[in-house]
Amino acid sequence: MDTRRILFLLRQPPYGSSQALEALESVLVAGVFEQQVSVLFQGDGVWQLVDGQDGTALGRRTLGKVVKALPQYDVTALFACADSLARRGLRAEDLAVPVEIVDTARQQALIAGQDAVVND
Amino acid sequence: MIVAIAVHGAPYGSQAADSALRFARAALAAGHRIERVFFYHDGVHAASALAVPPQDEPSPRDGWIELADQHGVELAVCIAAALKRGIVNAEEARRYELPGASAAEPFAIVGLGQLLDAVAGSDRFVTFAA
Repeated sequence: MDTRRILFLLRQPPYGSSQALEALESVLVAGVFEQQVSVLFQGDGVWQLVDGQDGTALGRRTLGKVVKALPQYDVTALFACADSLARRGLRAEDLAVPVEIVDTARQQALIAGQDAVVND
Repeated sequence: MIVAIAVHGAPYGSQAADSALRFARAALAAGHRIERVFFYHDGVHAASALAVPPQDEPSPRDGWIELADQHGVELAVCIAAALKRGIVNAEEARRYELPGASAAEPFAIVGLGQLLDAVAGSDRFVTFAA
């Protein structure tokens, strides 16, 4: 498989459907296949990053733990939309995972620099 | 141009599945090549052999099968997403001792690696999200 620069654009909230978990599983596989992976959390997707999550009350896996595991799959380029965080009253210290918080201009540059963008 | 498509929305549950099919037809008509359509999330329901569409509506499943027959488009269904939603082929039905298979031919039950393979092997990758 050719190595490509692939950006995953994750916009789904962590719970309420299995969309977010399944999207993260495809990110993990991209890491395993040694693609050049970046992840941008945008919109309600930023809730996936919030510290102190516990999915067990819903009988579900805790999404934050899956996000935390990304670096073990060589997925280390993690970004979050500054505007999406601000609109939801979230600050960097509320997040369980270290991410680079990026403004709209940086997001445009990030997307423009990819071979492919995978939406959730 | 080689185009790969991902379908994330279920037929009837979202417009995504229908839009993806229309896009695929248009891309092929414009001379592009579609090697693989990857069905993920609720999109896997498109593969159901057990769905009976209303008589006055086209069947999305049959639409995809037609593309596979006429243009050699590979219809790839994510195994992890499919199994938990009850989309299984004969092999998986046997493995899990289920009363029957539900995936229509020639939809193929494949691993998530095939999604990445489609992304890496195409000039354009288009997602139809739910």
